[in-house]
Amino acid sequence: MSDAIAFATIRELGARYRKRELSPVEVTRALLARIEKLDPALHAFVTLTPDRALADARAAEEALRRGDERPLLGVPVGHKDIYLTRGIRTTGGSALFADWVPDSESTVVRRWQDAGTVLLGKLITHEFAFGLQFPGHRFPPARNPWNLDHIPGGSSSGSGAALAAGLLHGATGSDTGGSIRGPAAFCGITGLKPTYGRVSRAGVMTLSWTLDHTGPMARTVEDCAYLLQAMAGHDAADPACSTRPVPDYVGALDGGVRGLRIGVPRNYFFDDADAENVRAFEDAVATLRKLGADVRDLKIPAFDLSRSFLLIVVAEAFAYHEQDLRRHPELYGEMLRERMLSGALVSGHEYVQAQRLRMQICADVAEVMKSIDVLATPTTPKPAPTFKMMYDPELAFPRTNMPPFNLTGQPTLALPCGLSASGLPLSLQLSGRAFEETTVLRLGHAYQRATDWHTRRPPV
Amino acid sequence: MPDEPKRPELTLDELRARIAAAGITIPENRLNMVRKLLGEALAPLRSLDSRKIRPLEPAVTFDAAGPHVGVGHE
Repeated sequence: MSDAIAFATIRELGARYRKRELSPVEVTRALLARIEKLDPALHAFVTLTPDRALADARAAEEALRRGDERPLLGVPVGHKDIYLTRGIRTTGGSALFADWVPDSESTVVRRWQDAGTVLLGKLITHEFAFGLQFPGHRFPPARNPWNLDHIPGGSSSGSGAALAAGLLHGATGSDTGGSIRGPAAFCGITGLKPTYGRVSRAGVMTLSWTLDHTGPMARTVEDCAYLLQAMAGHDAADPACSTRPVPDYVGALDGGVRGLRIGVPRNYFFDDADAENVRAFEDAVATLRKLGADVRDLKIPAFDLSRSFLLIVVAEAFAYHEQDLRRHPELYGEMLRERMLSGALVSGHEYVQAQRLRMQICADVAEVMKSIDVLATPTTPKPAPTFKMMYDPELAFPRTNMPPFNLTGQPTLALPCGLSASGLPLSLQLSGRAFEETTVLRLGHAYQRATDWHTRRPPV
Repeated sequence: MPDEPKRPELTLDELRARIAAAGITIPENRLNMVRKLLGEALAPLRSLDSRKIRPLEPAVTFDAAGPHVGVGHE
């Protein structure tokens, strides 16, 4: 299969299907062959579903013949392996669920299926979607297609690696402290953490209730908009899910960015940042300015307090996993186990204080957002580290730029904005007001129309 | 009231006391990692005046006009 098909956008794929230049079955067969060739080195997939994929592709082909116009018809996708799939193994990246086949499925899985997608398989996740992957556990970690010695980011590691390698055209991710945006940044793809409550989490394994978000991962902003359109919307099965109407995300992409007010918070996000990450970010900001955006520097001191998010994550993760951690500690990866157990060491008043602090951060940022449309920052302060660096037993939890927006719940997009001297992707983070996904997508789309970083391919 | 001195970082002794109180086991060679993790997470809390940060209110909300899920009243 040509790279042109493996890396086609969702819009291009749909256009070629409808011109009968390509068929979903043909694309699905070609991608299954590509996965067979590349995935033994990447470990992006934990479970392949070729029979299901071909059945979905045939159904899509039939629907296309009837003139079905759904934009995701015949689009090959994969689900992060914390999304429950009926009749298909769902491991959570854990030995606890290594052979579990659910008899129900997540709302998002059902919605994408109803949209006509082709399910290629389940994508490896860091164990229980915690943001670190360690060796010696049940499943091998996914590797970064740009350099196999480097991590692809996580916890949606398989989603990031598979998209970067052209193994599928869309994937689900989840994001508690950056698990969509981190792999997007390190793998040179695009990922959106929607507003808290915009996309249902029903049927998705929990890490930390008050911080967990679900969202789309793809290679372009436009593809993310198509995928979000088919995910978003109220779901009574998720008590946090909003009843707000879902706007037309794809239709809003071309609105332009002239006059959009972009704030660059100069504190917190640049601490310990590599010079090349900062340089790529400044170039991206210059591009946005050239496109007509009104860019201004800011300081938001509340962000300096956002490391307290760790307290909420570990306390909530322990609350969720307590029974299993006490009964079957041996089934948790060694290093994850101790991080989750640390949640038992958080006192009641400390958890409450962390949530109070979070309310303070939300209020301070909301005040800033009254006069700013989008905040722009580097997604990560450094490019993808090596596995060796991550295996340092003294490493508690890497510092990144993403958790502040899990605390505030704002819609936040990560998209490629450069390459490091060593050839690793660098990323721009754009965060908007709650439920204003259309604004961050519009800005990201304008940036991708003006640049070609999202079209760069790894050497796989 | 004059500023009080900041509380010190989480010590290994304090960590061991928390582990004993929680009734869990953490291997000796992981204590330093856990101490770092909790220490970093607690630092913002320990730098603040707990009387001045926002309260967690309202604890219960409901919208009398529309559909709602969970806690609330008709």
